[in-house]
Amino acid sequence: MNVSAEAPTSNISAEDFERFREYFYRRSGIHFESTKRYFVDKRLIDRIQAAGCADFREYFSLLRFETSGREWQRLVNEMTVNETYFMREHYQFDCMVQSMLPELVARKPRGEPMRIWIMPSSSGEEAYTVAMYLLERWPELARWDVEIVSSDIDTRILAQAEAGLYSPRAVHQLPAAWLQKYFTREGENWRINRSLREVVAFTRVNLNERAEVAAYRNYDLVFCRNLLIYFDDTSRRRAAEAFYDVLRPGGFICLGHSESMSRISSLFAIRKFAQAIVYQKPLEQA
Amino acid sequence: MPLNKSTGMPSASIPEVARATVLAGLQAADPALRRSAAQTLAGQPEAVPVILDALERESSLAVRTALLDSLAATPGDEAVQALAGCLRSEDAWLRNAAIDLLRGMPEQVAPVIAHMLIDPETDIRILAVGILDTLRHARVEDWLLQLIDAETDVNVCGAALEVLTTIGTSAAIGQVTTLMRRFADEPYITFAGRLLLNRLGRSA
Repeated sequence: MNVSAEAPTSNISAEDFERFREYFYRRSGIHFESTKRYFVDKRLIDRIQAAGCADFREYFSLLRFETSGREWQRLVNEMTVNETYFMREHYQFDCMVQSMLPELVARKPRGEPMRIWIMPSSSGEEAYTVAMYLLERWPELARWDVEIVSSDIDTRILAQAEAGLYSPRAVHQLPAAWLQKYFTREGENWRINRSLREVVAFTRVNLNERAEVAAYRNYDLVFCRNLLIYFDDTSRRRAAEAFYDVLRPGGFICLGHSESMSRISSLFAIRKFAQAIVYQKPLEQA
Repeated sequence: MPLNKSTGMPSASIPEVARATVLAGLQAADPALRRSAAQTLAGQPEAVPVILDALERESSLAVRTALLDSLAATPGDEAVQALAGCLRSEDAWLRNAAIDLLRGMPEQVAPVIAHMLIDPETDIRILAVGILDTLRHARVEDWLLQLIDAETDVNVCGAALEVLTTIGTSAAIGQVTTLMRRFADEPYITFAGRLLLNRLGRSA
């Protein structure tokens, strides 16, 4: 996360910050610690100015009462953190092709697609990494249909993911052969090829909105990495429950290396594979 | 290529079901159906007795979790009282799950916590202190100080003092000092009290 050292141009009072923090939490599930005050203030002031509001009070009214939801979405886009890269925590992708998928296909009826959900999508690096891993390291792909859906609350970052243009930093851990095979150089950057862009569906979803998540069901594998660290206990538990309903019985969920489902919910079983520790929705409902 | 772009996300939706269907769903043989029925009860104060009844007989962890979540998502005193009532259960999972949920409901818990802290049962008072441990409410320290002023059970006082060692401010110095005198023969009270006073820059 990059936080500018430049000072905000006007002030958000402590009371305003508390009101905003509570409101943002209730709508998004994302809780800002007081240590993030500067980060929040700066982005809030940017949006107040961009929306043409005189002060926080006017902007807060706009947010609460606008019917289109456009300003809310712009604000969410500013407040969410989007930083990832290809092959990040690659041991989980190794685990996917070497351990989880073999177990999943062993009990999957022939003809039923394998469904993988990446949430949050961010700028698409994880979803495309999953696609490349399947193409390069999972020979069974020839026999199974796989659907990859990559979702985020931030519409701007989803557009970026669909465009598929990446900096050298984002691709620095990719094998050179994959870079050559799946990307085209554009100046200093790399654009992922159309053939790969077309196999990933990017969608917007707010994990905190049960009605929105209800549209996501029957997934075999979920990657939710480095998102829950931004949630408080209540939102984490709510998210864990949402993922429970998203997964088929026996489906797996991978969290970030610093996150532990065991501390959030007792609904999942821990699975220790040779490559990674992941969590599984029990085959028989507990 | 067998990598297929998903044709659409919505493969299921929350069913719009009538009350009778929900009640039938809560008794379905399939836990997934019972869980789905439990989730539809969220936010309906009139459903609190139904949820409590289902909790009594439900054995599936996933369904019980959904029932408790629905209770926590229901406005009104009855729902929070029902969650507080779970603290009296013999079932440790239910007690702990209820505590976790109550910790995330500061505004709803506020009206009932004072009563829980003077409950005749020692265990309930200790569990209530456990709720205060991470409750985000401005009055947490006040409630703990009121408790140690009047509390006679050393284990309850010890639990409260443990929370105060983390969140206590200079406002706690007088009452904690008094508590240490009242329980001068209890090593834990002395230890935790000193810890707090040292953190606040006071010697015991």
